Amino acid sequence: MIELKNTVKKFDEYTALDGIDLKIDKGVAFGLLGSNGAGKSTILRLLSGIYSPDSGEVLIDGKSVFDDPEMKQKVFFINDETVQFGGFTLKKLKDYYRSYYPNFSYEIFETLRKKVDLPLDKKINTFSKGMKRQAIVIIGLACCTDYLLLDEAFDGLDPTMRIIVKKMLVDAMLDRELTTIISSHNLKEINEVCDTAALIHNGKIVFSRDIDDVKGSVHKIQVVFRKDENGNIPEYKAEDFNSDELQILHFERSQSIYYIIAKGDEDVIRAVFGSKKPVLLEIIPLTLEEIFIYELEVLGYDSNNINEE
Amino acid sequence: MFSIDLTSRIPIYEQIYEKIIGLILNGTLKENDQLPSVRSLAKSTGVNPNTVAKAYQELERNKTIYSVPGRGSFISAQDNDEFRAKVLEDFDSAVNEALDRGITTSELKDRLDTLGSAFGKENKI
Repeated sequence: MIELKNTVKKFDEYTALDGIDLKIDKGVAFGLLGSNGAGKSTILRLLSGIYSPDSGEVLIDGKSVFDDPEMKQKVFFINDETVQFGGFTLKKLKDYYRSYYPNFSYEIFETLRKKVDLPLDKKINTFSKGMKRQAIVIIGLACCTDYLLLDEAFDGLDPTMRIIVKKMLVDAMLDRELTTIISSHNLKEINEVCDTAALIHNGKIVFSRDIDDVKGSVHKIQVVFRKDENGNIPEYKAEDFNSDELQILHFERSQSIYYIIAKGDEDVIRAVFGSKKPVLLEIIPLTLEEIFIYELEVLGYDSNNINEE
Repeated sequence: MFSIDLTSRIPIYEQIYEKIIGLILNGTLKENDQLPSVRSLAKSTGVNPNTVAKAYQELERNKTIYSVPGRGSFISAQDNDEFRAKVLEDFDSAVNEALDRGITTSELKDRLDTLGSAFGKENKI
């Protein structure tokens, strides 16, 4: 299990992480979401023992990871800059990591390498960018660590390689309870691979939850109320529908149609609005992307800056 | 056997859950039929195995399926009452909506009789 307890990380004057509390259970595929500079990579670097926190704790299986070689063997970190050994051949690179990670599986390495047809005897710096990614992802999976950290690492992989990697992750999760942590601002990727996700903004956690629960939690509602005997459309305000179970986030009326965004179960929404016997009632769950944008908007982050995909 | 829409607004575990219920209701899956393993369903659909497991747990919790350690998950004997209750509930809400819009009960009764006798003819042989 991974635990960050009130973790603070500063770079000179800049506070990258501002008191993060995060718990990641063993065996989950965890997505770190957030805008650029939110603190995603800093969390991964703390977890791989590259950085030490300024205050608070960073624990893997209950032990601090910084500067502890034994703990570091439990973690493999893949980021853009992982391939620093351009002069190495893939064979040499494999041997290098193999000497460091005791559980290295030659079988996994060879199966994957053959699937994507990477040459063993060519130097890494002759590889294309995509091939370099493939090489380090293959090595990362072959190292058979308990924790695999991927910093935007899926982005550069082609669709076939993605499917191969996803299937490898299924086996690793079921066979040895691999915990994967993937950082991305690509929501599609997180949605496809992860079961749990945290949204980070300005070095703070906005939420950390089961993705399916996040998805079912906020709804878009379109409702048209029946006219009264005099032909008037009844007037409602957001407060008329707010309750402990239903939180109205957005309330807008255009002619006879009300557009509402609300946090709450679909059943609750249906009961609350249905009791007014509306002519039309449409309830649509928000997509992960819409929730992401909405949550950040609430925090004052302009959504126009987020959609980089 | 399954197609899951990973981009859908509907939670993935719910899609799996509903799909299995649907296959049972339409008779494709019968009592004691074996479900695919979590591993094979995760691989074939591209869904995270924890999410598949969650759907199976939910189905097991309400006794739609049962699992045998080391062998897998199987369809339970289905409770017909629950299915009837759901159909009748849908009927009630349709009737309420119709009444609400000014359709009379006698109109509805006539319609029900027509539907009933048509069904009777079709299923006589």
